[in-house]
Amino acid sequence: MTYATKRKVAGMVFLLPYLLSFCSFVILPLIVAFVLAFCRYDLTARGQAGFVGTKNFSDAFADQYFWAAMGATVRYAILIVPATLLTALALALGMNAMVRGQRFVRAMVFLPGMLNVAVTGILWQWFFNGQFGLFNFFLEKVGIGKVPWLSEKTMAMPSITLMSLWWTVGGTSIVLLTALQQIPVQLFEAAALDGADTNRLFKYITIPMLKPVLTFTVVTTTIGGFQMFGQAFMLTRGGPELSTRGLVQYIYETAFNNYRLGYGAAMSWLLFIVIATFAIIQFRVIRGKAI
Amino acid sequence: MKSFLSAAREITMRTLALLFLAPILLMFLTSFKPESEVLNPSSVIPRTWTLANYAQVLGWVEEAPFARWFTNSLFVSTSVTLLVIALSSMGAFAISRLKVPGGNFVLGMVVASMMLPTQLFLVPLYLILSRLHWLDTPAALIVPATAGGFGIFMLSQFMRGMPEEIEEAALIDGCSPWLVYLNINIPLCAPAISTLAIFVFIGSWNDFTGPLVFMDSVRNYTLPVGIALYQSSYYTEYGLTLATSVLATFPLLIAFFLFQKQIVQSMAATGLKD
Repeated sequence: MTYATKRKVAGMVFLLPYLLSFCSFVILPLIVAFVLAFCRYDLTARGQAGFVGTKNFSDAFADQYFWAAMGATVRYAILIVPATLLTALALALGMNAMVRGQRFVRAMVFLPGMLNVAVTGILWQWFFNGQFGLFNFFLEKVGIGKVPWLSEKTMAMPSITLMSLWWTVGGTSIVLLTALQQIPVQLFEAAALDGADTNRLFKYITIPMLKPVLTFTVVTTTIGGFQMFGQAFMLTRGGPELSTRGLVQYIYETAFNNYRLGYGAAMSWLLFIVIATFAIIQFRVIRGKAI
Repeated sequence: MKSFLSAAREITMRTLALLFLAPILLMFLTSFKPESEVLNPSSVIPRTWTLANYAQVLGWVEEAPFARWFTNSLFVSTSVTLLVIALSSMGAFAISRLKVPGGNFVLGMVVASMMLPTQLFLVPLYLILSRLHWLDTPAALIVPATAGGFGIFMLSQFMRGMPEEIEEAALIDGCSPWLVYLNINIPLCAPAISTLAIFVFIGSWNDFTGPLVFMDSVRNYTLPVGIALYQSSYYTEYGLTLATSVLATFPLLIAFFLFQKQIVQSMAATGLKD
């Protein structure tokens, strides 16, 4: 064997284990998901399994629960994206201005992200509980009275958002902080020499320089928002009156509680299409405006 | 005036930082309180310290085999971490050092697949795992996790940024690829590999949806799903559920304080790269 052949063979041997895993657990599932979306495949009635064309998709469009779940998902995204963006930006600017103690603040802000969603949910369930919750215990003491954090339709989603914010904003703020620290100091110095005040520095240097990272943050937070599942699952199980049951939870319940795998797969593709559309639009819009 | 403002800002930031810490601190402190004190908290620090919650949680073997869930989590997360490191570093070595034909095409596919939401894979994976008879076994949580693209992508990028002359010279001189991989490549990539290991371990330890869907019997659950199930039956006995939460969290908190710099910095770096 020549050196070149030997090297090729070695390369294939080294790549093979990963490639096998990738084909079996990424490529194959995608093919299965695609086929399933056009089939009826109920684990409770395997005999009737078979090709049904686009029926699963037309079923979804006619399914009021699908639209309710889509509505809940969009409501959550509308709350979490601006909340995360503004809080993370404020935290990043605050940390960036610190002379001492920046490492401490950075670590503390990041810490909640280390907990898993079950622990986070248990903790906030204890805070939010209407009767025995910590928040209401103190609100009663100071005379405000009980707040229906999770039991009222209008309150439940904002409460879930508050928990998610605490849980995930740290990571985003550190990404923004790193970007802030990479802005060349000379830009600020030159502009300050030319007489620009703090507000102008912020508007004409900080924000434009942060633009790529801000775009990235908006898109990833939106994608994450559309995938919300564990938070509502832990705090409300999707209630009250399904007002916090997002698409992922509906897909989960369709596929694994009602065993309708074909319908579940079809809705997963719809979720993917929604996410991809939003990501593309956001990239376009933000790139198009100003700069 | 200026120094007053900056002092005020530092105090505000530190207070905010404590606000982020407070729930976790409360969780620790309250888990040592007796049940009566949990529901009527008169002080943050327990008036009577007790291990009763922990004793009850760890003793409840049948309904909630906590030690078993802990072992399951440890086994799954460790296996996933080791396998991901082995497969990803070998793959990255093949692509960016041995320059295997089609390597960059594979990498492109991997990166493209990383854009797809994980939910898309749940239903088909469930079917595939059921055909393999892997449902309700640790294999269902371990083997598919090795297909994730993050590791091979990150290590390929890292290797691309490192000089390849030593490895190239060793290969041309007839050194076997295995020796080059083990003796030169792995030591050179150690910083990236350790960062990857931390990330993969945390991700696997905290995975919720996978075990929720693929595991069936209570004794095969991992910690997050086990304690979520436990919480739904004992949700107003906060002393107990908080004690389980502390037990499920402390290994990660220890890891966080040990590797804080790496975790926070790589978070920032990976966030920017994507």
